[in-house]
Amino acid sequence: MEIQNTTNQSDSISEDTNANPALKKKILIIDDDENLTTVLVDKLNFSGFDTDFSNDSVAGLQKAIDTKPDAILLDVKMPNMSGWELLEKLRVDAWGEKVRVIMLTSLDKPESVAHAMEQGSTVFIVKTNYTLDQIVDKVKEVLLVK
Amino acid sequence: MSTQLKHLSISLLVMAIFTIPLYFSTPYLIDFFLNPQKYIEFGSLFVSYSVSDIQILILSITFYTLIVLVGYIVYLLATASTRAELVSNYQNKDLLASKFELEELYENAPVPYLTIDKEAEIIGCNKSALRFFGVVPEEIKTKNFFAYASEEDVDLAKKFFNFYKSDVPINKKEIRIRTKKGDSKWVSLSIFLTKDSVTKEKNGLVTVFDITDQKNLDQAKTEFVSLASHQLRTPLATIKWYVEMLNSNQLGQLNEKQMEYLNKMYSVNTEMIDLVDILLNVSRVEIGTLKVEKQSVNVPEIIDGILVELASQIDKKKINFNKKYNDGLTKIESDPRLLRIIIQNLITNAIKYNKDGGSVDIEIKNKFGMGQGSIIISDTGLGIPKEDQDKIFTKLFRAGNVKDVGSSQSTGLGLYLVKSIIESLGGSISFRSAEGAGSTFTLEL
Repeated sequence: MEIQNTTNQSDSISEDTNANPALKKKILIIDDDENLTTVLVDKLNFSGFDTDFSNDSVAGLQKAIDTKPDAILLDVKMPNMSGWELLEKLRVDAWGEKVRVIMLTSLDKPESVAHAMEQGSTVFIVKTNYTLDQIVDKVKEVLLVK
Repeated sequence: MSTQLKHLSISLLVMAIFTIPLYFSTPYLIDFFLNPQKYIEFGSLFVSYSVSDIQILILSITFYTLIVLVGYIVYLLATASTRAELVSNYQNKDLLASKFELEELYENAPVPYLTIDKEAEIIGCNKSALRFFGVVPEEIKTKNFFAYASEEDVDLAKKFFNFYKSDVPINKKEIRIRTKKGDSKWVSLSIFLTKDSVTKEKNGLVTVFDITDQKNLDQAKTEFVSLASHQLRTPLATIKWYVEMLNSNQLGQLNEKQMEYLNKMYSVNTEMIDLVDILLNVSRVEIGTLKVEKQSVNVPEIIDGILVELASQIDKKKINFNKKYNDGLTKIESDPRLLRIIIQNLITNAIKYNKDGGSVDIEIKNKFGMGQGSIIISDTGLGIPKEDQDKIFTKLFRAGNVKDVGSSQSTGLGLYLVKSIIESLGGSISFRSAEGAGSTFTLEL
């Protein structure tokens, strides 16, 4: 993990001005909504994470496999490829099989939660029910799980 | 009519044949009876009478009548078989006509009908069925009906086939059917058991009622709610998070007034989120897309979750919560998500319409350990005025004494939703209340 992080850091070092980047965990946000992505990126940066994002699911999947983040915040409803499809494809990858994924959704259908667990998502978050602080807590919690 | 005329003429002819000779011989016959000695040598038994013309006339009429009767009886006997034949012809004609009508009805009925033999092989079908399957009769006959089920429903088709084999009729069961063109169509399938009129073997009359449009409409409704849910909630989540970001001071210190404004934005946005949630749930209830998935539910866990969410409201009003239940013994068979919506609405009301420093009691009773139970939520709040009590579960209704409760937004949908959901869960809700003395709501599950 540590080694991967260091390599990732060197790729995006120009964006990162904080000290001791090697200790930072990298979070990738994949959500087609730019406004939501911006505020999530800002919040996670303020909370001491290294962040990257993609507003397109197909590009996001590629970015995930290329940059190997510690956790992925993944939106469910996206054009081109849904979050579920992305997760399915990610779980086939040798690295992607183990990466921690937090699913973000605007829906609150009961089947979604069960579905998320089946698909191997670590946490399932209904956007309107969570504050940013709660999301940061979730991310921290998820990263602690070995 | 002509047949009746024929009958009449035959009767008259028969009568004539018998009566005319008799009529002319009547005077001689009478004479024979009155003066037999004139004709027979040893007629000493007979007494001699003198006969008037009147007597002859009366006797003649009697004879005539007798002869007519005899003639009619002879006619009836002679024509009995012919008439029986005629009647049966009439009946056959009726039968033929009704058979024809039935066939027409079967052939041209707008609903696809098929007849299958005991092995479920198709032995006949109507035009509608041919149109539905997109085939000509030769293509469909002798094929097994259940082989037309869509790939997705093969197992279901096997189940229905076994039902049919063991003489269980199928009544309005939904299944997908694959037509020749390859379309998958939803149908409501019924199979009634009949007997073949010739072989007396078991047959089945199959009705496949096309419900594809209805299914598509249901699908469209469900998609609408989920789309609305997504489109309305995403911007609300965005506002919520941006306000939170501004409010967190991570972007610089705000002054008191700015903080106050942001807090107002935040709370109005939260109300909006709640409103969207409740509206979506109401529309789910009303268009019937509310799915009930029952399982063993840990009610105290749900209540704890709700109390955490409502913590700020509880603190603000200094509400005293009393949990009157044993945490370990409170599993109820229900749908956790729906039950959560119900309890959350009731607890929110119990807080919203309570006085500062009031209390809310929650009691859970388990019945017979059968997964049934009741949840009782009581408060020390405003209570419901007597005149409003029969209307509180009505959509958009708000009790007279809550309309002016400060900033609390009330939609008049909460209790309507609670009642609708509890009914779809197979439970019931009742309450006891007096104005100014609080309310007690009891959920039976």
